[in-house]
Amino acid sequence: MNPVVEVLNVTREAAWLPWAVQYFFLIGLSVGCFLLTLPGFALGRPAWLRLARLALIGALVCGFAAPVALLADLHQPGRFWRFYAHPNLHSWMAWGAFFIPGYVGGLCLYAWAALRPGLAAAPARVSLLGRAWRLAALPWLPRMPRLLPLAAAWTTGFAALVLLYTGMEVMVVRARPLWNTPFLPVQFAVTALAGAIGLVLVLDRLLPPRDRGMEVALNRLLALSLAATLAVGGAWLATGLLGLDAAHAAALASVAGSPEWRFAALWAGLAAAVPAALALWRPAGTGWLSGLIALHAAWMFRWTVFIGGQTVPKSGAGFYAYHLPLGHDGLLGILGTGGLCLFLLIALTALLPWEAAGPARAAAPAAAPVAPAAPGRA
Amino acid sequence: MSVSRRSFFSGLSASLGGMVGAAEAATPELRAPAGGPRWGMVVDTARCIGCQACTVSCIMENAVPEDSFRTIVSTYEVREGDRAAMVMLPRLCNHCEEPPCIPVCPVGATYQRADGIVVVNADACVGCAYCVQACPYDARFINHETQKADKCTFCAHRVDAGLLPGCVESCVGGARIFGDLNDPGSTVSRLLAQNESKVLKPEMETGPRVFYLGLDDAFLGKVEAEPTLWHPSHGQEAQS
Repeated sequence: MNPVVEVLNVTREAAWLPWAVQYFFLIGLSVGCFLLTLPGFALGRPAWLRLARLALIGALVCGFAAPVALLADLHQPGRFWRFYAHPNLHSWMAWGAFFIPGYVGGLCLYAWAALRPGLAAAPARVSLLGRAWRLAALPWLPRMPRLLPLAAAWTTGFAALVLLYTGMEVMVVRARPLWNTPFLPVQFAVTALAGAIGLVLVLDRLLPPRDRGMEVALNRLLALSLAATLAVGGAWLATGLLGLDAAHAAALASVAGSPEWRFAALWAGLAAAVPAALALWRPAGTGWLSGLIALHAAWMFRWTVFIGGQTVPKSGAGFYAYHLPLGHDGLLGILGTGGLCLFLLIALTALLPWEAAGPARAAAPAAAPVAPAAPGRA
Repeated sequence: MSVSRRSFFSGLSASLGGMVGAAEAATPELRAPAGGPRWGMVVDTARCIGCQACTVSCIMENAVPEDSFRTIVSTYEVREGDRAAMVMLPRLCNHCEEPPCIPVCPVGATYQRADGIVVVNADACVGCAYCVQACPYDARFINHETQKADKCTFCAHRVDAGLLPGCVESCVGGARIFGDLNDPGSTVSRLLAQNESKVLKPEMETGPRVFYLGLDDAFLGKVEAEPTLWHPSHGQEAQS
């Protein structure tokens, strides 16, 4: 029996709410999806075009929804202007306020450049949407063939900055040993990529025609990214277990005695290992399942880091209890973010010629059969 | 945190006996501008009876919302064999010399006054809670009514008017001593010069300006103990 009993102490509630989990999840997915578009759009690999088009939809959906979740975490979204009026550049969060619009703005330009050939190819007399597409292509501007690679370079730079700041913002918090590890930014990045691959696999199922060859390739990529996730997690665990670093050992010790944390660790390991095994064992036909589990793994990692991490007291004994509220600061917020993503997915796939997206030379053949049908469908 | 049981209980008995440590403690180096005060607090744990008068007076003085605390007296029962004793540990913002809450604030809403008091400009605060995460002492929280960061201010409004902080004013045992650390003649300076003092989590290198007399090392960081029997919680209150 412990000779010390904590008779009275204060409980601190989680100050970063599930909104933060949603933001880090969605912005990570968006960046991961954007990176997956690069071989097809920026490097001009025809075999990656279908993947790039699906990934572009994923990047846009998550890229638009993520800042909404971030604003909601401020309790009063109108406060955001202070980030730009009074930035404290010693803070990673302040830098993030500039990186996010840089990334989302670049993503929009990149998407427009990729969609422009499809927009321009729309027959203007078919429907109102067709006329809107042609207008959106800004036909009075020159062709600008270098716009897509330039926008890709800009967005890649800001995507890297977003990955950097989201990791560093949490890593620099020395007060929380579980967060204060250089493994964390790397783990955020690899789980974001795994989640993005998972999202594209799910989109491949939702938005036919399905591409078996792409599914197999994506599943292999998913297995690789999940192997990287397990390796980084294993390295963190080994650093703590072997006592290679005192801070890591203290972080591990702070949760090692908790059955809930041991269960969470086992669950996280399985959430990475099972889809990896599935992706390798049956790379064709199981993409939606391995993709869903990978999405779950990416989300759960962030939930464990943020919500779980805040249940570890900085001074008190034991753990703080966390009960998910049903309102906007809890379940409703999570479901609402999911609903927003669903709405954006429906809106973007219905209103944009995404199936014709790509570099001008690649988009032209694909645009011909797709463009006349799409306006009518809408 | 490892500490031998013998040294642990020797420190405990010293505090229970009302004695404070040996006199060779070093006076902390201070970086506040010369000429002005650098406010700090000395907590003599031997004098604290855990009555929570400080907790209540702070709430009344600063209109702290229900289920939130700017200060509280953490209370521990320590047993050895048939013997048991209580340890009282008043906790509050440490008004650190190197406050980790300040650089993380994305809008510069939290800052340190020239007299060392760390405050939040509520008009500028966006409620992002980054400072809450960065504080190693769990001294900050998001105020449910303002949805902004909240913390102990050493009752700056009272100090500016020449009064003592509310918790110091109400402490029945005189366990909280407040004063100017830059003034070698002040009570806090003399106490620090004459006694061995400790700060919470020294390994964080934040330079706390709340000093403890008679506190055992086992209570300086995250306390290894059986979890609390009861703790106030906003969620529990809302459900009841």
